[in-house]
Amino acid sequence: MIRRARKGVLIAMLLLGSSADAHVGTGLAGGFASGFEHPFTGIDHLLAMISVGLWGAFLGRPLIYALPVIFPAVMVGGAVLGMLNVPMPPVEAGIALSVLVLGGCIALSAKAPIWAACLIVATFAVFHGYAHGKELPSAADPIGYSVGFVLATGLLHVFGICVGFLTHRPRGLIATRAIGGVIGGIGAWLLYKAIGD
Amino acid sequence: MRGAALPAALVSTALGLAIAFAPRSAWMSSVVTFAVTATVVAVLPIPRGCLDCVFFGCWVSIVASAATVHLRGGLNAPAAMALSLNSGLWSGAAVALAGSHVDLLKALPCVFALFPTALSVRLRMPMAAKVVSSWLIAMAILAATLQFLPVTPGYMPDHLD
Repeated sequence: MIRRARKGVLIAMLLLGSSADAHVGTGLAGGFASGFEHPFTGIDHLLAMISVGLWGAFLGRPLIYALPVIFPAVMVGGAVLGMLNVPMPPVEAGIALSVLVLGGCIALSAKAPIWAACLIVATFAVFHGYAHGKELPSAADPIGYSVGFVLATGLLHVFGICVGFLTHRPRGLIATRAIGGVIGGIGAWLLYKAIGD
Repeated sequence: MRGAALPAALVSTALGLAIAFAPRSAWMSSVVTFAVTATVVAVLPIPRGCLDCVFFGCWVSIVASAATVHLRGGLNAPAAMALSLNSGLWSGAAVALAGSHVDLLKALPCVFALFPTALSVRLRMPMAAKVVSSWLIAMAILAATLQFLPVTPGYMPDHLD
């Protein structure tokens, strides 16, 4: 029995472990785990991602799924611009503004036309992608990092959409608008900080 | 670091999504074709000089497979088979050049993304699969672009520091 259990553990270790694991997510900021973790460690990116999903849920079809498609796609373009060092307006202010505007749209229950919502989200996605493209690590598995990063971004959108479904519940609309207000408030503070710096 | 498990797993996942939109009768043959092709190619002696080309082929395969999810009517059986052959070729080659057979064991089961995707289609929520496919496309485009760009080192302070 013990021999069988040992065999099982050995097989599991062979399947799940690899020599590369020693360098992933430790030391240099690289690897899938590091990329996945990154959006969760910065309040600006975190709130913007959740807001995109939340606003999409607020606006309904087709934006509920169009916004989470547009954001990562355009963010990749922004990341490429960042890696190429293409000059951009102040990125910090752009990111802070994205939190303020998206939070404000939710708080005010703004029913933007499809083209306008897509344009707003795409514009801010460029800033977020640019910032992360600039810091994308080459030293330790940049591919793993970017995959983790895009996946985490997408999952944060999905979380935002799930929060957005609160609007279908009694008093849910007030709750989501209040959440939008808080996000917008934090965005205003981030913008003040970004301009002050 | 450049391992083969991640690209092969992404190729496998993208194929799983694509096959879910093909006729049910093509599922088994597509999965078997993919697994056999990947396994055979993984043991072939592929020249080291092809490394960049093979990785690029993986990213293009992911984009191609994930993009078929957005086709009206999905894939037909011959197209599903061709896509499986192509995916098996590139993922097997990546494993042959930059990974171990354990990487292949990790990657192949990802093709079973087919089942949750097919369930989402049956529940009339194909949009979930289409959103995931767009993330895969974004990841693959970014990874492909990385091959041609000088990227910044990870030890530099980022915009939050």
